[in-house]
Amino acid sequence: MPAVISFLRSYLLTFGLFAMAMKMKIHPDLSVNFAGIKLKNPVLTASGTFGYGEEFADIIDLNKLGGIIVKGISLKPIKGNPPPRIWETPSGMLNAIGLENPGVDVFLRDKLPFLRNYDTAVLVNIFGYSLEEYVGVAERLDGVPGVAGLEVNISCPNVKAGGIVFGTDLKAAFDLLSAVRKATRMPVIAKLSPNVTDITAFAKVARDAGCDGLSLINTLLGMAIDIRSRTPRLANRTGGLSGPAIRPVAVRMVWQAAQAVDLPIIGMGGIMTHEDALEFILAGASAVAVGTANFVNPRATLDIIAGMETFLTQEGIGSVKELVGQVSVA
Amino acid sequence: MPSNKLHQAKVLLHRPAGRGYYRLVLLAPGLAAAAAPGHFVMLRVSANLDPLLARPFGISSVLSKRSIELYYRVAGRGTTLLTTVDPGQTLDLLGPLGNGFPVPDKAATPLLVAGGSGFPPLLYFAARYGKQARLFVGSRDKECLPPAAVMKDLRSRTKAVHYATEDGSRGTCGFVTDSLAAYLVSPMGGEKPVIYACGPHAMLASVSRLAEDHSIPCYVSMEERMACGLGVCMGCSVSMKAGGYKRVCKEGPVFDSREIAWGRVPLRGGR
Ligand SMILES: Cc1cc2nc3c(=O)[nH]c(=O)nc-3n(C[C@H](O)[C@H](O)[C@H](O)COP(=O)(O)OP(=O)(O)OC[C@H]3O[C@@H](n4cnc5c(N)ncnc54)[C@H](O)[C@@H]3O)c2cc1C
Ligand SMILES: Cc1cc2nc3c(=O)[nH]c(=O)nc-3n(C[C@H](O)[C@H](O)[C@H](O)COP(=O)(O)O)c2cc1C
Repeated sequence: MPAVISFLRSYLLTFGLFAMAMKMKIHPDLSVNFAGIKLKNPVLTASGTFGYGEEFADIIDLNKLGGIIVKGISLKPIKGNPPPRIWETPSGMLNAIGLENPGVDVFLRDKLPFLRNYDTAVLVNIFGYSLEEYVGVAERLDGVPGVAGLEVNISCPNVKAGGIVFGTDLKAAFDLLSAVRKATRMPVIAKLSPNVTDITAFAKVARDAGCDGLSLINTLLGMAIDIRSRTPRLANRTGGLSGPAIRPVAVRMVWQAAQAVDLPIIGMGGIMTHEDALEFILAGASAVAVGTANFVNPRATLDIIAGMETFLTQEGIGSVKELVGQVSVA
Repeated sequence: MPSNKLHQAKVLLHRPAGRGYYRLVLLAPGLAAAAAPGHFVMLRVSANLDPLLARPFGISSVLSKRSIELYYRVAGRGTTLLTTVDPGQTLDLLGPLGNGFPVPDKAATPLLVAGGSGFPPLLYFAARYGKQARLFVGSRDKECLPPAAVMKDLRSRTKAVHYATEDGSRGTCGFVTDSLAAYLVSPMGGEKPVIYACGPHAMLASVSRLAEDHSIPCYVSMEERMACGLGVCMGCSVSMKAGGYKRVCKEGPVFDSREIAWGRVPLRGGR
C-alpha cells in the first residue's frame, strides 16, 4: 500500500511540475508594437478581403484579431469595374474589382462606428487617382478616434499624370508618400506594389518620405484568356493575382525589403496557415496580413493565431518578436 | 434568415442523379433550419489549395429540418472533384446565404422558369409554394432536362409542367421562353402570373423582357463568379439599371428583374 501511495505522490508531483511548466509556456507573448500601434497579436486582415468587418462578425470574434485593415477608401465613392471581376487560377485568383467603395464620408458615418465596438487595431487603407485625392482622404481621417493608422495603397494610376502608377515610379511614389506624410499625424504605412523590378528601391523611397512602416505585397498583375472566345476572362482584361500561388514571391520581397530598410513590415501574400505566416516573420515581417484565405476559410485568421501560439509553445519561444527576421542566411 | 455561418457538414448521401447531375445530401441542422427557397451555400469541394475557392450551389430541399439537399451538374474541375466525395466525409459549408424568392401572394400563379442547371432553387420553391404553380422547363434536348426523379417531383408538386426543347424531342420545339410567351398571350382562367426564374444569363434576360412586355412581376436568381459568398470580395457584382452594381451573394441572388441592367438582350433565349 505505502508503495502505491508514494508512487502516486511522486507521480502527481512530477505531473504537477510538468503542468506548471506547461502553463508558463502555454502563453507565449504574441503582442507586437508595430510603428507605435499596439497589436495583441501579429495577425491582421488584408485590405479588400474582410470588408469593414461586419460580414465576419457572425463567424469569428473580431476582438481576437491583431488588427483589421479595411477595404480601400477613397475621397469620393467608386463604382468599380464591370463583371466578370474575378477568375480562379491554380491556387490563386485574379481580381479586378476596381476598388469599389462608398467613399470616406460614408465610411466614417456608417462603417467605422461598428468597428469601434471591438478591441482590435483598425488600419484604414486609402487610395486615390491623384496626389490631391490621397491627401484629401488622409486629412479626413487624421485624428479620428478608432483609427490606429493609415495604410497607403500606392498601386493606383495617377490619372492627372497620364496614368503612371504611383507605386511603380520612384519619384511619383516619393512625392505621394511625402504628401500623405505631411497630411496626417497618424502612423503611415506604405503598401508597396510588387510589380517592380527592385522592391528595395521602393522600400527606401518610403523610408525617405517619412513612412513609419511597410506593407507588402499587393497583388501581382496577371491575365487569363478564354481560348474559345479569344477574350480575356476579366472584363478589365488584367487583374491582380492573390492567394497561395504568390506566396514565394511575397516572402522573397519581404526578405529583400527587410534587408534594405529598418522599417517594420506587414508581410502578406498567400498566407493560409500559421506556418505560412511564420515564414513571413522569419523573412523580416513584424506582422502579417491574411487576404484571400478569408474567402476560402472565414476562420483562417483565428486558426493562424492559434497555430502560431501552439508553435511557439512547442518550440519554447517566449515571444513572437524573437522570430522577426531570424532566417539564417549564413 | 440568411446567415454567415460556417458548418462542418457530414455527407449523408451522394449519388449520380442522371443526366450529368449528382444529388448530395449534407447534415447541417443549423443551416437547414434557417434556409428558405432561393438561398444558396458555398461548399468547399476539397481541403486542398487547388481548386482554391468554394463553389456556390442553390439549396434544392431541406430534409427533416436537419439536412439540405443539393443537385449539382458536373461542370468543371471543382464539381468533378466533388463527385469523388464519399458519405461520412465532412465538407466546409457556409450558409444559408443571400436573399431568397419573395413569398408569392395567395391569389397569384407562380410561373417557375428553369433553364440549364437552374432548377434546384425552384424545386425548393415548388415544395413550399408549388400548388398553384406552373413550371416552364427548357433544355437543348430531352436528355438535358433535369434528372428524371427531379422532373417527377416537380410534376407532382406543381399544377402543370410546360416543356420546351431546342430539338423538339420533348414539348414545344424552341426555347423555354417560347413556351412561356405562348402561355402569356392568354393566361388560363384569368390567372395572375408572377415569374420566378433561374438559369443562364441569356435566358433570364429574355424572360425579363417577356415579363416587362406583359407587365408581370418577375424575380430572377442570378449567377456570377464569386470568391467569398459573404459580400466582402465584391467579385460577384452585377450591373443595375439605376447605375452601379449589386452583389449576387448579398443583395441577390434573387433580384426583381426590372432592377438589372441586362445590356443587349441576346437573340437566342438560352437553354
Ligand atoms: C448563386 C448560385 C447558385 C448556383 N446553384 C447551382 C446549383 O444548384 N446546381 C448547379 O449545378 N450549379 C449551380 N451554380 C453554378 C455552380 O456554382 C457552378 O457550376 C460551379 O461553381 C462550377 O464549378 P467547377 O469547379 O466545376 O467549374 P469551373 O469552371 O472549373 O470553376 C471555375 C470557377 O468559376 C466558378 N463558376 C463556374 N461556373 C459558374 C457559374 N455558372 N456560376 C458561378 N460561378 C461559376 C466556380 O465557382 C469557380 O470559382 C450556382 C451558381 C450560383 C452563383
Ligand atoms: C478581392 C480583393 C480585393 C482587394 N482589395 C484591395 C484594396 O482595396 N486595397 C489594397 O491595398 N489591397 C487590396 N487587395 C490586396 C490584398 O490586400 C493583398 O495585398 C493581396 O491580396 C495579397 O494577399 P493574399 O494573397 O493573402 O490575398 C485586394 C485583394 C483581393 C483578392
